[in-house]
Amino acid sequence: MLVDFELIEKARSGDDGAFSQVVQAYRKRILGTIARLIGRPEDVEDVGQEVFLRLYYSLEQLRTAEVFEPWLYRLTVNAAYDYLRRQKRRQESRMSDLSEQQVMMADAAAGGKQNQEEQRRGKIREQVDALLEKVSEEDRILLTLKEVEGLSLKELEKIYRVNENALKVRLFRARQRVLKAYETPED
Amino acid sequence: MERMDDDSTNSKLDALWLEYRNAFPDPEPSANFMPNLWQKIEARRVETTSVFRRLAQACVMATVAATLIIVVLIPRIQREPVYTATYVDILDAAHPMDAAQLLDSGDVQ
Repeated sequence: MLVDFELIEKARSGDDGAFSQVVQAYRKRILGTIARLIGRPEDVEDVGQEVFLRLYYSLEQLRTAEVFEPWLYRLTVNAAYDYLRRQKRRQESRMSDLSEQQVMMADAAAGGKQNQEEQRRGKIREQVDALLEKVSEEDRILLTLKEVEGLSLKELEKIYRVNENALKVRLFRARQRVLKAYETPED
Repeated sequence: MERMDDDSTNSKLDALWLEYRNAFPDPEPSANFMPNLWQKIEARRVETTSVFRRLAQACVMATVAATLIIVVLIPRIQREPVYTATYVDILDAAHPMDAAQLLDSGDVQ
């Protein structure tokens, strides 16, 4: 826990100052998780603010301060999931409006502005993005939390509210689908 | 052989996850993060309040309409009598001959 239970209790009872302190303690970690879940740095803050906005209006429903972190992660997962679904719809309509050449020119222009390190990161991001785009948003989020964020099965159990066996099956299947996508050559 | 391929793909994938994790360190929030968040919280609060206000206004309008119906229309409907004659009068009007025959027969004293 990055803050003590007392502060969460204060925030839960409507203390805006305490809520601000909770946000300040968790925002960096949550923004990092969101960045890796959605893969688009430009939208990370927006999604992060959506998470804390949802937290603000749902905090009074929290049973005890002990379950705060899984609760916050659940809100993060839901906000990322909503974003990815919206993005998918937007991307479909945007891509249909642009010709392939226009898309390539836009990519090249964006690439030219980046320095080498950023390009390397961009490449990895693109590679993982392309891979995760071949699986569902649910698989993408579950695998990112497990493999990239390094959350334990116990932590995932609390976030997803399912038992360990069900979670293992879901993870195994998701991993199999990603492996299959990884082995499949690009179209 | 296939098993070895699987293992190799698995480890390549694990390495890719790790690279992805390292390529995305936790970003520093911008200076506007907190002000923008509070703006959004306030905007949501105003939006929710205005929804409740509209709902309350609709309830008031519905109550006024119902009161008008009860006060004005119902008494007006009730003022118009449903029956214009008694049951005996209606029977009498429907069978005028019966009464005359009864009188003629002399049974009535």
